[in-house]
Amino acid sequence: MQFAGMALQPLKAVRIYCEIRVMVKTPSFPTLVRLRQASAVRWWVRLLGVVLLLLLAWRVAVVGLAEGYPASFWISQTLNGLVLGGVYALIALGYTLVYGILLMINFAHGDVMMIGGFTGFFALQLWIGVGWLDGSALWVVLALVLTVVAGMLGSVLAGITLERVAYRPLRGAPRLVPLISAIGASLFLQYSVLLIFGVTPRAYTRPALIEGGFRAGDIFVPYTGIIIFIVSLLLMLALYLIVQRSKLGRAMRAVAEDKSTAALMGINVDQVIVFTFILGSALAGAGGVLLGFHNTVVKFNSGFIPGLKAFTAAVLGGIGNIPGAMVGALLLGLIEALGPSALGIPTEYKDIIAFSVLVLILIFRPSGLLGEVLSEKKA
Amino acid sequence: MGMLAARHGLRTGALAFVLLTYLTLIGLPGRLADLAMPVLAGVAAIFFWLVLRRNPQLGGIYGSLGGTALWAGLLAGGFYAVLTAFFAGLLANGVRVQLVFDKIVPQNLAALYAVMPGALLSGELSPVGWLRQVGLLGLAGVAAALLVAGERWLRRRELPPLAALRWLPLLLPFVLLAAVIGLGSPAVTFGGNNQGTIRLLLAMLAVGSGIFAARAVRPGGARRVLWALLAAALVGLPFLLDQFQNSVMGIVFIFVMMGLGLNIVVGFAGLLDLGYVAFFAIGAYVYAFLAAPFSSPWLIAQLQGWGLPVSGPLVSFWLALPLTMVAAGLGGLLLGIPVLRLRGDYLAIVTLGFGEIIRLFMLNLAELTNGPRGLLNIAPPTVGGYSLGNPRDIFLLALAGAALIALVANRLDGSRLGRAWVAMREDEDVAQATGIHLVYTKLMAFAIGALFAGLAGQLYAARQTNIFPENFSLFVSIDALSLVIVGGMGSIPGVVLGALALKGLPEVLRGVDEYRIVTFAALLVIMMIVRPQGILPSLRRGRELQEQGGSRADQPSVLETLPDNAGGSPLAQKER
Repeated sequence: MQFAGMALQPLKAVRIYCEIRVMVKTPSFPTLVRLRQASAVRWWVRLLGVVLLLLLAWRVAVVGLAEGYPASFWISQTLNGLVLGGVYALIALGYTLVYGILLMINFAHGDVMMIGGFTGFFALQLWIGVGWLDGSALWVVLALVLTVVAGMLGSVLAGITLERVAYRPLRGAPRLVPLISAIGASLFLQYSVLLIFGVTPRAYTRPALIEGGFRAGDIFVPYTGIIIFIVSLLLMLALYLIVQRSKLGRAMRAVAEDKSTAALMGINVDQVIVFTFILGSALAGAGGVLLGFHNTVVKFNSGFIPGLKAFTAAVLGGIGNIPGAMVGALLLGLIEALGPSALGIPTEYKDIIAFSVLVLILIFRPSGLLGEVLSEKKA
Repeated sequence: MGMLAARHGLRTGALAFVLLTYLTLIGLPGRLADLAMPVLAGVAAIFFWLVLRRNPQLGGIYGSLGGTALWAGLLAGGFYAVLTAFFAGLLANGVRVQLVFDKIVPQNLAALYAVMPGALLSGELSPVGWLRQVGLLGLAGVAAALLVAGERWLRRRELPPLAALRWLPLLLPFVLLAAVIGLGSPAVTFGGNNQGTIRLLLAMLAVGSGIFAARAVRPGGARRVLWALLAAALVGLPFLLDQFQNSVMGIVFIFVMMGLGLNIVVGFAGLLDLGYVAFFAIGAYVYAFLAAPFSSPWLIAQLQGWGLPVSGPLVSFWLALPLTMVAAGLGGLLLGIPVLRLRGDYLAIVTLGFGEIIRLFMLNLAELTNGPRGLLNIAPPTVGGYSLGNPRDIFLLALAGAALIALVANRLDGSRLGRAWVAMREDEDVAQATGIHLVYTKLMAFAIGALFAGLAGQLYAARQTNIFPENFSLFVSIDALSLVIVGGMGSIPGVVLGALALKGLPEVLRGVDEYRIVTFAALLVIMMIVRPQGILPSLRRGRELQEQGGSRADQPSVLETLPDNAGGSPLAQKER
């Protein structure tokens, strides 16, 4: 009866067509009336989003720009944001890879990163003890590369163990179950590190070679920042090539698409999942070491907040989507670096900004910026 | 045969070695002093037992079973002895291992050799110490093999069920209560007193076994009598305990109140809320604003502006009750509206974010909340001029509150709304298709859950008299969530058991406070793997999980035998 007079009202016809499309795509068949309610809600939500954006723009125009920071301040903040974003991207990729395959948030991923940071710290201490950091530039570079590699190894070990002990027995269980297990694993890793290595934060020593930075006018760029950004870009490139070009990468994508079909095609699903954890953890380990150099300290809970932010970044870009995680992370880094000054609020509220971004993204665009429109089951 | 035993033994032994190394690195031996090695051997034996009993292809105490166990024990012992000898050597040579491993100190290692730390530092260790480690762990392996063999032997002989044993769990709570009374008249003991701690433990065991008894008894006249007796015993309990014990039980039951609220959100409606502490905090802070306005600079200014007195509480505890509940319920609605469209894990992260945001605001809005200095001198509840602020009365109030909430939750569980929650938990699309209004149902879950948390928060504020933002950290959420999960999601008696286990036991085990979070975290993971339905699952939920995890159900767990002992199969207790 809804279709009567359709030809006379082209707009309405289009809407009904859309509704039918939505209806056919969703697994259940709610009534058209309910759908119309849902679309009304959606329009309200969009309106609310526009109002919020306008408010934000107004706040930036009235408060942020009125404070009159010089352009060099904004540029160096932007560069800071990009550096931080690069590190977030390395961690966010781990969330996205695991989510893409297991549809599970690896809550302990931030702590895997922290373990990488700790391993890197001890490796660095070892190189200092051996005296490599006092040697020629070649030795210093070698030591730094090996530090990152050590961090990656430590994280990979943690990641594999985590998968084997806490996640594999739970495959196929209701979705809350692995999440709770992940929360437990996260706490376990944090407090085990606290008990084993003590409460004192471990301070990364920067070798003299990468201390300092270069100056262009009022803009100061530390060398560590450049190194961090370049290393994270290289690692992301490597990941992209592995996932897109290698045989294992193809297997990963197949498993992400459909586990049982992939198994029928002769792919060892367990192996692919372990491989995914290895990739994600290796990136996180590198991120942990880089973050250690950036923040100069690592301690038992230093993975928690970066982990949450990286998760935010992954959601921002569209979870399960690899380029999305990179874009989202860079964007989040920028938001975090520029946000407090642009909105004229104290920097203590930096974490609140990240959380608010997460909440707003999930409310207004749960599929993220680059994410495909997931069916509601996944979202 | 030999190869099989060697291969399994190597694997098991290596795993046990990792476990023992972990326990050593977190400094457990130092805590246990001279008992360290026997206790570690016991842990290893339990581990071997759990591993071996899962391998039915290992047979015969003189065959592959015994061989595997012996191999595993000796290998673990050998590796472990080498490791400890390595550390001991480092320490004796003056290397400060503590710079890397915080807990590798002479005291910790010396406990493993049962010598004084000085002897270890001067390198006076006899080879007997190492042999003792190898020997004890080898013995652990043998003991585990014997246990497995004995268990199999017992299972092969079918024991006749003893009808009289059925009465034992029903009597147990009263026996324990009698023991509590027998341990002495309520005298004031604070913590350190051993007898007081034992009484506390017995009291908690009595409550726990009372719950099992209440579930185990068959419906009918006997059940009514038993329930009345149990209720009477529970009400009498606060008058039997001393101040310390009462204050512990008070906090346990405040967490029961909170857990029951969270149980509605997580257990009934299946909305994983990691920011539940926010509502607890709202309840506590609203009551604090009402009862101690003089701690908040902003409120003082407002009250003075209106010419009101600022020296005392604005309203009494009882008048504040509806206000805090409304405030917390509104908080629940406000959280609920934006997250309506989210499911599962996303919801968990967003609620976690909300919880943190609330805490950060409490910390940073110093004008209103007095920041980290907190709100002080919150008035206790009073009845006719008599203050109910002492631990015993708080415990009584918490009992009353928990009973009230349990009653409401129980009625909700069977109501139209409760069934809508379950339907929504199982499948939102199907639930919507059958005519359930998702928005209303979700919001009700958030609001009712928040309301109960607010109630618990108010009582908590009254108990503490001073509250600070640190009291409402993420860990309160995690504690509440773990107690719901450990007890059994969706199960009301499970919440009480979970609270006793997670909030009560740490008070008894004061010495291992350091290991509390690690233990809980490991417990969460193990629980999810072995028994995702919790200790005392709600019958509906337990059956669902059993259906889905069919392959896992055939691995018997330690806890699985509990409800059976408590009378009949779970299905026989259908009519609770």
